[in-house]
Amino acid sequence: MPASAHRLTRRGLLAAAASCAVLVPGPSRAGAAPARVVSLDYGLAETLLPLGVPPIAIAEADQWATWVVEPAMPPGVVNLGAAQEANLELLHALKPELILTTPYLAPLGPVLARIARTESFAIYTPEPGTPYPRSVDATRRLGGMIGRESQAQELINASAARMAATRAALASHAGTPVFLVSFMDTRHVRVYGAKSLFDDVMTLCGLANAWRGEVNYWGFATVGIEQLARAPEARLIYVEPIAADVLAALARSPLWNSLGFVRAGRVHAMPPALMFGMLPSAMRFAGLLGQTLAGAPAHG
Amino acid sequence: MGERLRLGPGSLVGGLALAALGMSVATLALRLPPALWIDALASPDPSDVRQMLVRYSFAPRLATSLLCGGALGLAGALLQLALRNPLASPTTLGVSAGANLALAMAMLWAPGLLAVGREWTAMAGGLVAALLVLGLSWRRRLSPLTVVLAGMVVSLYCGALAAMLALFNSHYLAGLFIWGGGSLSQQDWTIAQFLTPRLALALLGAALLVRPLTLLTLEDDQAKGLGLSVPLIRLAALALAVALTGLVVGTVGVIGFIGLAAPALVTVAGARRVAARLLWSTLLGAVLLWLTDQSVQRLAGDFAEMLPTGAITALIGSPLLLWLIPRLRLTLQPPTGLGEAAARARRPLLILAALTLLLVALVGLSLAVGYGLEGWSVSGDLAEWRWPRAFAALAAGILLACAGGTLQRMTGNPMASPEVLGVSAGAAFGLIIAIFALNEIGRAAQLGAATLGALLALLAMLALARGSAAAPERVLLVGIALGAMFDALVTALMAGGDPRALQLLNWMTGSTYAATATDAGVALVAAFASLAALPLLARWLDIVPLGGAISGALGLPPRRSNRVLLVATAAMTAVATLVIGPLTFVGLMAPHLARFLGLQRALPQLVAAALIGGILMVAADWFGRTAAFPWQIPAGLTATFIGCPALMWLLARRQRA
Repeated sequence: MPASAHRLTRRGLLAAAASCAVLVPGPSRAGAAPARVVSLDYGLAETLLPLGVPPIAIAEADQWATWVVEPAMPPGVVNLGAAQEANLELLHALKPELILTTPYLAPLGPVLARIARTESFAIYTPEPGTPYPRSVDATRRLGGMIGRESQAQELINASAARMAATRAALASHAGTPVFLVSFMDTRHVRVYGAKSLFDDVMTLCGLANAWRGEVNYWGFATVGIEQLARAPEARLIYVEPIAADVLAALARSPLWNSLGFVRAGRVHAMPPALMFGMLPSAMRFAGLLGQTLAGAPAHG
Repeated sequence: MGERLRLGPGSLVGGLALAALGMSVATLALRLPPALWIDALASPDPSDVRQMLVRYSFAPRLATSLLCGGALGLAGALLQLALRNPLASPTTLGVSAGANLALAMAMLWAPGLLAVGREWTAMAGGLVAALLVLGLSWRRRLSPLTVVLAGMVVSLYCGALAAMLALFNSHYLAGLFIWGGGSLSQQDWTIAQFLTPRLALALLGAALLVRPLTLLTLEDDQAKGLGLSVPLIRLAALALAVALTGLVVGTVGVIGFIGLAAPALVTVAGARRVAARLLWSTLLGAVLLWLTDQSVQRLAGDFAEMLPTGAITALIGSPLLLWLIPRLRLTLQPPTGLGEAAARARRPLLILAALTLLLVALVGLSLAVGYGLEGWSVSGDLAEWRWPRAFAALAAGILLACAGGTLQRMTGNPMASPEVLGVSAGAAFGLIIAIFALNEIGRAAQLGAATLGALLALLAMLALARGSAAAPERVLLVGIALGAMFDALVTALMAGGDPRALQLLNWMTGSTYAATATDAGVALVAAFASLAALPLLARWLDIVPLGGAISGALGLPPRRSNRVLLVATAAMTAVATLVIGPLTFVGLMAPHLARFLGLQRALPQLVAAALIGGILMVAADWFGRTAAFPWQIPAGLTATFIGCPALMWLLARRQRA
């Protein structure tokens, strides 16, 4: 039995037992809460960490440090390969008790169910609703599923507190329109708009998203840089990493140099944060947002 | 067939230019009041974003579309003249695939190169690919079909490598998908200024080539009789076309269709002389891309970037190609070289028996031996996860090889493969629409959608084929047009950065991951049914390549036999595509390998091809599951890695030395 199972609180255990007995009676829920959990999604995996049940294996573990950074994935977590092609022979050998997945991986559902109980969490879907409130609900549901209700509530509270703290710290920037982009190459950006986690966090922190255009299924749009000219009064924050030639090419571009936020020096770099994450990514992003804008003059 | 447009190339270019001009003026009027146009273009007010956008985005974009379109039109005309093949186009030489791969590798492993200049990296990659193509076809004195075949093989290989990089590093290479889609969006005049003098130089070079190319339109032997070095002229024209294509793909990305459509349309419109074809192709290419790009900007609005112009040219161009097909005077030359490849084998049965043994051994290996956390192991426990994949790969290999062999014998075209039939593209269309229209769908719904797509493509193809007496070349062209449309759609989706596009990429690259026991069972039944039907088809296939008159004289009604063979091929392709995606390299490879083993009559060749197809796919699937553990390389890609070098070697080998 892994060490994490001993950290169950009595109240959590009772609650889990009660929910098993009352809501979902059945042989699969009869035993203790599952301790051997596997996640095929970064967002769900990063939520498992603060809940105190680190996953035994995740998809694309080798790229975690580049895209999620924080919370750090403990060493020894098994890499399952690509999420959409998680290694089934390996998964079978690991004998997990619970597999966490998303509707994006729906075609894998029946296969995964042959290995272990599989639960799907919808955070990024086109239905009404946005990622942050969905992440709160999913965190609560996940906490209940693994017998960590109180830790889940603590995470939700901590995240709300982080948002409020950032909002207070950025009070002088309240209502400032901000473009949040990733540079794709020297001519294109991915701009995060409505229905993205970043948009939710910016709103919670009192900022306004400068991108009002259409977005895709995952809450971003891929556009030419000239499209950013629509809101010259905005700030621009770009998420790292950025390709080697982009900044030099932009420096030579008369159009880029004529954009309001460039002329006023309101362009900021921000370390990477997972754009398709859940509450831990939202907290990291809010923290980075606070650091990035803290030094900037409120009305530059 | 052979009917000419009443209007000449001049009116064609003029009419399209008027339409493009009208759209440009209308779009410009929406962005800036006409009173400010002169100011904006001459000396824009830096504080007025609208003026800056017109000066540094709208205007250079228009100029770039003209320059790139012109360059591609000229490149296409040069290639079509040099190869005497109305289907030659800049992408045929593998330049764009090579450039794409070079850029992907630079992004991952040598980002410093990008700071030196993306276009140089891309051009170098394109040049290497083109040199490889020319090297592979050199021994055959750059014979037109060999060049096109080598170009396709190199394109496939580069494409497979780039796809694998994209699968393993999807986050990093998002920018590459935009580039691959050919986005004309501009923020300054750098690209236009870069292209202008180079295009002018290329036009000068083309002018110098007019006379030699005119003589080249004679037969090879006659041209040689006039004291011309045929390979040298071809090489010069090819080099110029490669440089032009490299410039375009290096600066704005892959814009494939213009280089094929412009020269073909010019020919249909009545341009005959070499100089006229080169000049009008350049102008028509420029106007076509201008019009397409203005339409994209006008119709797409906010989504303009999600619909890269390069992908849209293919979407618009494919119906155009369908319209062109009955109007092109197509005489695809009979295959040279590859057909006369090997001496006839003395004991075909012995070869077939050896291949069967090899296949059985490989299946056993694939089921029992695997790689895990503790390294290599032999066990029967995991067979439950392995057999659906191994058998799906096996069945798909057999089906594709049978379909490819049938097509190649039927059309006498060594480049025919099931992918070219358009049925794979139809299945792929169905699946894409299902994935994107109905958010979360299961495997059964995916299968249903793909089947429906394959059926519709098959019916459309049969309807078109009936109009032209099921001429095999026509059917192949229809397939190429459908395939181009499908590529365009996928590229557009990739460029939009939608993560669901990755699912498609997996399936397209021939992953057996999703194969269920049912899939494998259905595919195996279909494979065995096809093998059983081979003896029935074999007599036709021995006769059909002799040509309509002879096969008619031998008592074979050409229409009926063609139609039966088409339906059989389409059905085999459909089943295989559902299981293993539209990347059907095995369908091209296996029949060639069988022929090189010395099997020349239809039945033994097809049976050997089926066995080789099975061997290739089972080996590819097993290798893909174990080589990069815990990652898995799709079997289609692995088969390409195994098969491509083999085909290149076969191509480069001197025949009948």
